[in-house]
Amino acid sequence: MEEGKSSPPSADLTSESSLEHTDQDSNKATPLKKIDVLLKATGDAPIMRKKKWAVEGDKRVGWVADFIRKYLKLESSDNLFLYVNQSFAPAPDQLVRNLYQCFGSDGKLVLHYCRTQAWG
Amino acid sequence: MAEDREILREVWDGRVPVCIQLASEDHNTLSAPDPYYLMVPRLSYFPLLMDKVRKHFLRFISPDLHEEEMWLESDGMPLKWHYPVGVLFDLHCGGSSLPWALTAHFSHFPEQDLIRCPSREVVESHFMSSVKEADGLKHRGQIITNMQSKDHKQLWMGLCNDKFDQFWAINCKLMECLPEEGFKFIPFRIHFPCQPSLQRLIKPQTDDGRKVTLEELLQEFLPRGNEGDRVVIQGIEVPRDTPLQWMSEHLSHPDNFLHICHIPTQG
Repeated sequence: MEEGKSSPPSADLTSESSLEHTDQDSNKATPLKKIDVLLKATGDAPIMRKKKWAVEGDKRVGWVADFIRKYLKLESSDNLFLYVNQSFAPAPDQLVRNLYQCFGSDGKLVLHYCRTQAWG
Repeated sequence: MAEDREILREVWDGRVPVCIQLASEDHNTLSAPDPYYLMVPRLSYFPLLMDKVRKHFLRFISPDLHEEEMWLESDGMPLKWHYPVGVLFDLHCGGSSLPWALTAHFSHFPEQDLIRCPSREVVESHFMSSVKEADGLKHRGQIITNMQSKDHKQLWMGLCNDKFDQFWAINCKLMECLPEEGFKFIPFRIHFPCQPSLQRLIKPQTDDGRKVTLEELLQEFLPRGNEGDRVVIQGIEVPRDTPLQWMSEHLSHPDNFLHICHIPTQG
């Protein structure tokens, strides 16, 4: 968490998206560095006007899914599936940092989201 | 290789004894119902094993809880059903006292800590997703993508029905690689008793062709470990000079991940 910073709780995803916010040496404790996450719609999922978000690495995938739900004004009961590499759905408690470290490229993590199961 | 196949079999046959009690706040009878004892496969997942336990306890809980999801707790810690049984055992029990004492709950589902598991299909899709992720790391996903869906089904049914040959007939394809190269990356996760798991990239060989060992993985990703910390995989402390490629082929769980449990020294 961003201790000592005065950003409001809803600003965890900020609009900044410069590449210096990548998290390359996160083997060390670098909780302040955010990770660029690119959110892409798939199937009949509504498109987000803003696609690139800086996310704290210790946020969970489930947290990102809740954020998308809120942004798209979906009901909490609406299905929302997130995919990495257009192939697998990470567990909701997987950390964004873990995924970025293993599947990030060009300084960002790409997540596809959809309303119905798209892959597998 | 014959010897190695025996290791696969030993790992497959791993079981842990558990004793499941119903949470005292959930039973509506004067005395507590008998606990339920069973041997559970290390490689399986709790939701696949709990049908009988659930049925056993349903007689003792109030009818308005009958449709609720049953969840398990070990000494105050809610158990993540999407981790293999053996990983949970190594993290939260370790065999210090057997059988492993668990509590079954039908109320107060800990939404913050656990994912809901409404059906076996949810377990299946979680499992297949992990297999795909692992193959993405090992072979850029080429092997799993080229398999037919009946092969996927056979992997899953082999695990569900505890059929070693059925499972390995397919899984051996996911373990293929050129001996001189190994996998592209080794799919692994390091688990801790009370904090989120860690997952990173590691290659099985250095650029000059030397085999990377467990010791090197731990040095790279757990540099601040203490002397007495235990590193447990499939219930055993694997020698630290074991090559990762061999471990990945022989000690991985059916989801094709090497699950490494890091147990800090007590006190």
